[in-house]
Amino acid sequence: MLKRRSSSQWIILVALFCLIISVTSSAAPKKKAAPKTPPLNLPPLKTQEQKMQLLGYIRQTMPTRRIAQRINFSSADLDQALEQELGPATEELAQTIDDETFIRRASLDLTGQLPAPEKIEAFIKDQSRGKRSALIDELLESPAYGRKWARYWTSVIFYESEANKRRVDPQALEDWLAEQFNKGAPWDYITVMLISATPERNKAVRNDYGQDFGPNNFVLACENKSTELASQTARIFMGISIKCAECHDHPFDNWKREQFHELAAFFHPYTYKMPDQDDPKIQTAVQPRFLLGEKPHEKMKSDARRVSIAAFLAYNPKNYWFARAYVNRIWSELIGDGFYDVDSLGPDSEVIHKPVVNRIAANFRYKDFDPKWVFRLIMNSRIYQREMRTSSSAADLFTAVRPSRLRPDVIADSVENLIGEDQSVRKEIMQTFDMNPSLPQDGLEGSIQQALLMMNNQQLQEKLSQSGLKQQLLKMSSNTELVQSLFLHVLARHATEPELERNLSYLRESEKREEAVDDLLWVLLNSTEFRTKR
Amino acid sequence: MQTDALLHLNLNYRGGVSRRNFLQAAALGIGGSSLLSQFRLHAEDLKKEGRSCILLWLAGAPSQMETWDPKPGTPNGGETKKIQTQTSGVEIAHYWPKIAAAMNEIAVIRAMTGKEAAHERGTYHLHTGHRMLGIEKFPHFGSVVARELGDPQSDIPNFVSIGQTLSSGFLGVQVAPFIIDRPGMLPDNVTNTTPDLRQRRRLALLSQQEHEFAQAGAAALVKEQSELYQKANLMMTSPRLKAFQFDDEPAAMQEAYGKSQTGQGLLVARRLVEAGVPFVEVRSTGWDMHSSVFSSMTRRAPEVDQGLSQLLLDLKQRGLLEKTLVLCMGEFGRTPKINARSPAPGRDHWVRNFNLLMAGAGIKGGQVIGKTDDNGQEIIEDPVQVDDLFRSMCKAMRMDADMELHTPVGRPVRLVDGGAVINGLFG
Repeated sequence: MLKRRSSSQWIILVALFCLIISVTSSAAPKKKAAPKTPPLNLPPLKTQEQKMQLLGYIRQTMPTRRIAQRINFSSADLDQALEQELGPATEELAQTIDDETFIRRASLDLTGQLPAPEKIEAFIKDQSRGKRSALIDELLESPAYGRKWARYWTSVIFYESEANKRRVDPQALEDWLAEQFNKGAPWDYITVMLISATPERNKAVRNDYGQDFGPNNFVLACENKSTELASQTARIFMGISIKCAECHDHPFDNWKREQFHELAAFFHPYTYKMPDQDDPKIQTAVQPRFLLGEKPHEKMKSDARRVSIAAFLAYNPKNYWFARAYVNRIWSELIGDGFYDVDSLGPDSEVIHKPVVNRIAANFRYKDFDPKWVFRLIMNSRIYQREMRTSSSAADLFTAVRPSRLRPDVIADSVENLIGEDQSVRKEIMQTFDMNPSLPQDGLEGSIQQALLMMNNQQLQEKLSQSGLKQQLLKMSSNTELVQSLFLHVLARHATEPELERNLSYLRESEKREEAVDDLLWVLLNSTEFRTKR
Repeated sequence: MQTDALLHLNLNYRGGVSRRNFLQAAALGIGGSSLLSQFRLHAEDLKKEGRSCILLWLAGAPSQMETWDPKPGTPNGGETKKIQTQTSGVEIAHYWPKIAAAMNEIAVIRAMTGKEAAHERGTYHLHTGHRMLGIEKFPHFGSVVARELGDPQSDIPNFVSIGQTLSSGFLGVQVAPFIIDRPGMLPDNVTNTTPDLRQRRRLALLSQQEHEFAQAGAAALVKEQSELYQKANLMMTSPRLKAFQFDDEPAAMQEAYGKSQTGQGLLVARRLVEAGVPFVEVRSTGWDMHSSVFSSMTRRAPEVDQGLSQLLLDLKQRGLLEKTLVLCMGEFGRTPKINARSPAPGRDHWVRNFNLLMAGAGIKGGQVIGKTDDNGQEIIEDPVQVDDLFRSMCKAMRMDADMELHTPVGRPVRLVDGGAVINGLFG
């Protein structure tokens, strides 16, 4: 009954939102005295269901929804658009990868796990024409897909968080995100759940800040600070770096200090005050205003304001940053280079091949922000299926796929795949191979510690030496079979002719076969390829 | 062309030519033996006398009013009192009695002025000497020191950091900081469990495996990893590894530095410098005191007070201070005006004037450079820019501040772009 009564109020509210969006984004400001603000009679927005319901209503009025039914943008269209952009660089286009490179690459990208040897063999044997596309669909439906990308985004949110560890729960966030990705939740829903969360402290329980509830953890990672929420929202969901504007006008972008504080005001529970640049004791009250000028209703309370910022973020078609930031991140992870650095774009910064990324982003919006659509689009393209090469200049960017360092959780999984579950080895790998998910690949570096860990970690070596895989290999009577099986298990591909010969002669020349197998395992575990997506 | 190649040879501080450069020169068709003898002639002039630098980084930006520039009795002064130091006429905040007692070794720079008031950007500026503006990632000063003064064949890293720090930027993994978290312990996984001969066979096979992966398109990654594996292997058998470990360090010495992470970190720093490591950074955290600045200072200062004063004493007693530059600083300063935060007031970010300590490596101790006004809001004498500071650091390390570094795209950039050595800093 309560629901029914509130639905009419919802519609009023939705109309109000549209009004705000259309007024602020179209007409030039008029000098006339502001008209009296109509009273705001909002239904309660306490629970997540209520927030999502509100968002659902706003979503239905999305101007782009109608276009979506008419427009189609396929992987072939993407290839065509990019090749047009590349111009003379198309001569540099790398070859298409073979089936076993494809299955390893696609499995690592979508699930973070290596394909099993039987799967590789079956995939190579499969004669059907659409098998790569079918594999992408299959991987997108596996639970590991949601897990892999949940870990990625959890790291994006937490990597630089300074929040007290006892007041956050990254695992709860990861679990929740995994569930969302697996059920195909649209990106705007996920975003609004994160941004509009209002975690409440339970004083009866020590260190209970509401972190058990996954979506609360974005706000908690920002310590619920208005300024931190503003800069992280812009960074993660728009790909824009405006943090420096907290203290002064951004040195090389258009962002003004005031704009930053207006954005921060959105997240403040009451009245936000901007400190004076020279004397922090002087503070001026600032009205919330989104980056493109949208203002929430004056009487709107804090919870509703946070939903409204998500609505401004996602549904103002002029805010192309929202869709583009997601697309650019996924593209960077899949191709190895982005159209721009994932979180440091200012409005004036150069975006490479802008028409291409803008078209993908626009279509992502038409597809109702379906994350799986982006994966399908990119991974079915020829761009994604090219051989690896490290691009040396901006001119030949995207003519090949950059070999990328695997993320720590992926390396840990690959190791556990060989030695079985091991908490302590996993923990050490997670720490030693940790990397900032928001840095481009060419900004990352390996370390001596990583080499030492893979070479000498005692527990890892012992477990490898006692592993089921090793026992299995030792039982094989044919050395050729042994080497091929070894390569399939560790690197997820067959050994090449020279590799086969080399390893066979190593086995022949060794006095103890068992030690030789340990050595071969050690070598592949320590190879660059083991920790790289090729 | 050939002369150019010769000019770019790096001499390490022992006067040797690095093997890689030597091979490059050899590849250009220059006779190896005559080349080496030519360079040995100049080696004596070019020796850097085993200079080292220890940077004690106070992460979060310490308050200048609660460290080396107290203003008691003024509206901005707060609860902080001042104390007399070993050097007559020099007074510092009362949280630092042991530093006060070592003041004759220390130069206080009271009129630093910077440009970056956000942590990340300030940290970058004060570590690299460059502002975070373009796309280039400038190297940590320690990486430049490691490259210029470190032995490229060194069996332990030429740059060690106790705690996380910036990267070597475009100078690459060769001179990247080796980061340890637990001072006094051997780094993890340095013990090789495979017999020597077998280990060599493994590495030979690995190198062939790597070669093919490089050919397949991953050359850059393979190159980096090979360099790291080489370094890791040298390190595993290094007799100098014991510098990381306190096994032979008297308990009394460990006590003297203080049992804190900072104190123990500084003791490792001294041991590493003794072992020939040219750059060590020690990180102390918790200096971002937006609230409760006075009570926080009472908690945080004693560790640094004890560790740093003991480091100076220890270096001096071992005859190392004259060759070792010691720096103690953070990314910027804090607002002279006290804010109104709860539960107790603090100070916010302020970059117009802040301060730091320098000692050793020819720096004249027992002096204060620069002056701020009574409210601590303006510099009234001898401002020091970040460029000036870096020029002075280069001078202390006998390094050419005008040297050119080459970015990955080959663009030359000066190590320090402007500024002048701080007037009167060196005796």
